[in-house]
Amino acid sequence: MKMVVASGKGGVGKSMLASSLAILFAKDGKKIIACDADVDAPNLAVWLGGVSDWDKSKKITTLEKPVIDKQKCIGCGKCVQNCQFNALRIENKKAKLNYFFCEGCGVCQIVCPQKAIKLVPVKNAQILIKNKTKHGFPLISAQLFPGESGSGKIVAEVKKEAEKFQYDTMIIDSAPGTGCPVNAAMLDANFAVLVTEPTPSGISDLYRVLEVVNHFKIPYQIVINKWDINRSLSKKIEKEFEGKLLSKISYDQKIFKAISTLTPLMKTNLKAKREITKIYLRLVSIFKQTLLRREEK
Amino acid sequence: MEKITVTGGKGGVGKSTIAVLLANKFISSSKKVILCDLDVECPNDHLLLGQKIEKPKTLVYSYFPKLNKNKCQKCGLCVKTCYNHTIFQTPGEYPIFLRNLCSSCGACWVVCPYEAVEKEKEKIGEIFLNKISDNFWLVTGLTKPGVDKTGLVVTDFVVGEAKKFANDFAKKMNCDLILFDTMPGTHCPVISGILDSDLVYAVTEPTPMGVHDLGLILDLCQKLKVPAKVVLNQADLGDKKETQKIAQKFKTNIEMEIPYSKEIVKAYSEGQLERVNIL
Repeated sequence: MKMVVASGKGGVGKSMLASSLAILFAKDGKKIIACDADVDAPNLAVWLGGVSDWDKSKKITTLEKPVIDKQKCIGCGKCVQNCQFNALRIENKKAKLNYFFCEGCGVCQIVCPQKAIKLVPVKNAQILIKNKTKHGFPLISAQLFPGESGSGKIVAEVKKEAEKFQYDTMIIDSAPGTGCPVNAAMLDANFAVLVTEPTPSGISDLYRVLEVVNHFKIPYQIVINKWDINRSLSKKIEKEFEGKLLSKISYDQKIFKAISTLTPLMKTNLKAKREITKIYLRLVSIFKQTLLRREEK
Repeated sequence: MEKITVTGGKGGVGKSTIAVLLANKFISSSKKVILCDLDVECPNDHLLLGQKIEKPKTLVYSYFPKLNKNKCQKCGLCVKTCYNHTIFQTPGEYPIFLRNLCSSCGACWVVCPYEAVEKEKEKIGEIFLNKISDNFWLVTGLTKPGVDKTGLVVTDFVVGEAKKFANDFAKKMNCDLILFDTMPGTHCPVISGILDSDLVYAVTEPTPMGVHDLGLILDLCQKLKVPAKVVLNQADLGDKKETQKIAQKFKTNIEMEIPYSKEIVKAYSEGQLERVNIL
């Protein structure tokens, strides 16, 4: 089973929760695999107490970008007209690429009458694999190289690597937002834990990410993090999502201090640790019920 | 006219808060300012300013493929060409186009020898304009995925159009400054947000995650050749040594330090951040 931890808004506690849940599941004897699907800004390894020596790191290619042969280019501008991403222009009677705008779709190569454009594979990311973290389970992470594009496909690669391991539960820590990397993280997930906070932004972004969750028809539950920073807004969320509320986590500046010394939350004695343990137990019972229902069918 | 981009790599470090506080600072020195919210997937600046985005000023459209079965010869060329692998075909059948992963690049209709792939225009986003005061406007981009109809990967287009709208409006109103507020991360919509700015403020927090993601965004700015300065938010919650190290590595410095402030948190959650003047 695949569980994705997501949120529209960034910094609401996805990685904190995903790392803690992974540790709890593993402690219970479940075969866990943790995936960091925030390939833009991956932090799951830090929340797990830091991983310094990866077992495997490999550069990967998930996209191609055009190279223009200036000898062959006649500056006809067909590529410029057809590029939907405004990545090409004519400069000194030759086509010129703006590398950062290019999505690598290859339209320019198709339309060029001179065959002056050729797509070439780009190494745009690095996949990092730790076969056994100090918590006993594997972690798959990745890093999009700054300035490159294609995060969605890199997330797909992370999940592909994870599939090579045997597991009961894959925990996927999604990027914020609702765009390609988030879609790739959610694509085949069986369950989503959506993290929010009681601020107008937190609520607004929760609704945005729900559009994606509902699009993929993924069953979900909501966690309100830092619920006590605004009790009335927290109540509003609780009321609005009755039956969908997994639990709440309190605000605590000490979490900052713990993670600054690379201490995973589950190794502390903070209140949040007990609250997340409660979340874990509720998740276990929800998964059991779903399994029972499936068997009955 | 000056263009400044506020970004940060990590989510929730206070990009939008800093963007609004910067706007307040420039307005109080009687500059005309536009704040442009480029977090088009989850825009929040309007909420911080107590504004509603209701009637869009302009709409953003894109084109998506639609198969004309009368012309299609089932050759499969479109399937082979699609770099996003969103077109499927079982042998001998018509190809099926999956819109939700289509980036509307147009390769399929360009490559089709029978003109069987037609273009269908769809609304993918909206641009809003709010007047906050006599010398302060907010431009907001919003992807509008009625997700079943249009793609989910259209973020970049909306960022581009929001930027264009803000630039045009700034010229028309003779503004001194546009402040762009980007999404988290370092991928395409963030790159589009940073390109052709005069300066980047990279917002971070004193945690190992903040430090890690700051390194990524400073690296990106260096590659895009845009000068960057660091803003350390919630500066008193941790040790700033590591942040300083990363800043130095990329030959920049911590330009501003903002301590954790109940006043900011309160104004943030009540949508009255335009009243806070602390920078």
